[in-house]
Amino acid sequence: MKRPRIISIICILGYLSVLFTFPQVFSPPIKKLGVFMPAIYGILVSAHFIACVGIWYFKQWGVQLYLMAFFAKTLFYLLTDQIGLSLYVGSAFSVVFMFILLRHYPKMNPNL
Amino acid sequence: MVFVLFKESLLFAWQSLISNKLRSFLSLLGITIGIFAIILVFTIVDGLESNIRGSIQSLGNNVVYIQKWPWSFGPDYPWWKYMNRPTPEYSELAELQKRCKSTEAIAFRLGARKTIKYRSNSIQNAVVAGISHGFYKIKNFDLSEGRYFTQAETDAGYRLVLIGASIAEGLFPNEDPLGKEIHIAGQKATVIGVIKKEGESLLGISFDYQVITPFNFARYFMDIRSENSDPTIYVKAKNNVSNAEMMDELTGVMRGIRKLKPMAEPDFALNETSLLSQGFDVLFDIIGTAGWIIGGFSILVGGFGIANIMFVSVRERTNLIGIQKSLGAKNIFILLQFLSESVLLSAIGGFFGLLLTYIITTLGQGAMGMDITLSSSNIILGFTISILIGIISGFIPAYSASQLDPVEAIRTN
Repeated sequence: MKRPRIISIICILGYLSVLFTFPQVFSPPIKKLGVFMPAIYGILVSAHFIACVGIWYFKQWGVQLYLMAFFAKTLFYLLTDQIGLSLYVGSAFSVVFMFILLRHYPKMNPNL
Repeated sequence: MVFVLFKESLLFAWQSLISNKLRSFLSLLGITIGIFAIILVFTIVDGLESNIRGSIQSLGNNVVYIQKWPWSFGPDYPWWKYMNRPTPEYSELAELQKRCKSTEAIAFRLGARKTIKYRSNSIQNAVVAGISHGFYKIKNFDLSEGRYFTQAETDAGYRLVLIGASIAEGLFPNEDPLGKEIHIAGQKATVIGVIKKEGESLLGISFDYQVITPFNFARYFMDIRSENSDPTIYVKAKNNVSNAEMMDELTGVMRGIRKLKPMAEPDFALNETSLLSQGFDVLFDIIGTAGWIIGGFSILVGGFGIANIMFVSVRERTNLIGIQKSLGAKNIFILLQFLSESVLLSAIGGFFGLLLTYIITTLGQGAMGMDITLSSSNIILGFTISILIGIISGFIPAYSASQLDPVEAIRTN
């Protein structure tokens, strides 16, 4: 099935957000949180990216991974006390995206 | 099952890498340079930071410095207000000792750069410090040999000195300095102790290059009223007293000693090391962020290089992918095969980047005489970044390869 245009926009925005959030993996504030924090944060950013690739190919696992990455990332921010405007804005966008993705979920390919 | 799949993918990836040695080398070079740039900056910043923080710590966390000038320099620093202030005096020390209740130790110090001589050996511009007896209670330094001054020796201004390790090496290369007579600005003095080597300090506050004498002897060759000799009263708080409490008391006592009117502004500054720490926090944040931005761009360029080479790899092996799939290879196997290749490529690049950083920091350490070590946290960070770059830059080519139709793939030339 052909990918709807809104999904393409979500994916492009997702790729751009990865491009901007990836350098944060080795940023001084994340580094200060602990030795393994950059690795944990990096895994979450990578998961977000892989989810976007899955969604781009219109796969159900992409949406599932997107949801997991979103909750894990939010939990990471809350546990490490990284609460700020960017978290609120990012979360608001993600919630809207998740709503759209879940509406298209039944039409997506369930295979890998 | 997953392990076997992963092992096989890794073997395929390794064979592919060694069959295209030059191409693999060129593509991992981007990651090597990126990891080298970012980890080198972090390592240097960590080294400088620990050196400066160590130096600040050696000044004492619970020590307050009574001086003419404050250490905090803001944009509207009213320097003209401080110009006419008097410098702290030795006579104020006894008054402070008598009146202050919250202090554990009080000492006076002034310093100047003088030429030190012993026979034909001489050291120019050595820091000579004239101190009161309580100085050792405030400044932590160990003696490698000899002893500290007695109370009577400091009070009477005996011609005795303690010398730093570098001064001892310079003046007495093949002799024991203890009991030898040196000349400080023409005045004779006997060495009674050598201070243990401390190493280089970026703030220039190491005792290695200092000569310590009793204040009452130092006044013979130093101008004790000159601002250039930086007269300072050091005050250390008792264990159960905070710096803020002690500073409140000091303000009152100093105002009383200097007979300041209630509304008059204080004509002295109470400085503490936290002021220095705050200044350096800002500086290190700026350097760290600059390194992060520069290194980040290098890493991104390296990542694009790997992604590019992975797309070329997939294109080259499309036919092979088709054969593998037609023989029963699952999508996950094809995905893992290409993903392992990009991760392996990136991890090898990261390893060489870290190796290069280690070599450069080891060489630099010897040249600068400073402790700049590649820490385990930076090694973990370097590997993490390189593996993540491998995953991110290799996932799209790997996934597109896994989605190929076997019939179409076999037909491709």
